[in-house]
Amino acid sequence: MFHYLQNCIILTLCFAVLCTSAAENDNDPIRTLLPFDAIPAITKPQFVPAAKAKLDADAPVIGVTFNDESHAYSLYLLNGHEIVNDVVGEQKIATTW
Amino acid sequence: MYDHQTRSLWSHITGEAIEGPLKGKQLKPLASMPQIAWKTWQTNYPKTKVLSVGKRESLKRDNYADYHRSQRAGVSRMNYTDKRLSNKSLVIGVQVQTKDGAPGRAGADGRNGADGQVGTDGQDGADGRSGNYDPYNTQFRAYPLTHFSKTTVINDRVGEVPLLIFHDRESFATAVFKRNIANSVRTFRSQDGHFVKDNTGTRWNLVTGEATSGKDKGKLLERLPAVNIYWFAWARYYPQTTIYKP
Repeated sequence: MFHYLQNCIILTLCFAVLCTSAAENDNDPIRTLLPFDAIPAITKPQFVPAAKAKLDADAPVIGVTFNDESHAYSLYLLNGHEIVNDVVGEQKIATTW
Repeated sequence: MYDHQTRSLWSHITGEAIEGPLKGKQLKPLASMPQIAWKTWQTNYPKTKVLSVGKRESLKRDNYADYHRSQRAGVSRMNYTDKRLSNKSLVIGVQVQTKDGAPGRAGADGRNGADGQVGTDGQDGADGRSGNYDPYNTQFRAYPLTHFSKTTVINDRVGEVPLLIFHDRESFATAVFKRNIANSVRTFRSQDGHFVKDNTGTRWNLVTGEATSGKDKGKLLERLPAVNIYWFAWARYYPQTTIYKP
């Protein structure tokens, strides 16, 4: 959903915090629903050129562009990973879904 | 989320570390296209690369389709109490920094966008416990997608910042831009698909944010971070949010 600049921090999903914790509400407890890495984040993403992508025309993707370099991530794939640690146009980002 | 280096816990939504050694640290939200149909993205960015996992670029189905169709809100047994909208209403969530240096002001794509004069306006404060955010200089607004049934654009203003909210039902493309080129504030109206026109007659592509005709041709609007998100989540993290009303 958001794309975060990261300073050499690799982010991996801990499902516990996804919906159970609100940063602005100290009354919300952190509840653990799944162990670390139960949903494996992508730390070494692989890419193919657009012409070789077998995506349906209407398949939903997240798109990012930095310094004339663009990456697209299929949302249906991200359902199973939720975070991509990536570098796009020298910008270090975590794409999260 | 957690980070491998310190195992601190981070919120997906706010980008703030909420537990562990980095508690209170804030990642910087960057502007993106939060969702768009593949063909529309490819047309606008033909050189794009596509994530491939295990030699697959796509699954053909959405494993969360049932969840999206249901009235269920989230995975916990939390009660969501902000009833200004129904829990599963989809909104575009926007946070506007009204002071230089605060998180969330990055342009969409490294190139320079229009350099807007940004006013400060001390209203609508958050309650001020969110990491590096300066509550008096961050405002939050939700734009229900139901407003985009007959138009692709909303011309709005949050604090002193003139905003253009774009959503195309066909491609599901969503974008938020500042509505000014230097000191010239523009008003936009729908044309076809992701193309719109401003009050000076300039035509714009709102996937790329670029002017495609007239003396401003090639100029870029400054893009702000935006999310497509269910109301229950947006309202829980940002209870101070306002909701756009025409």
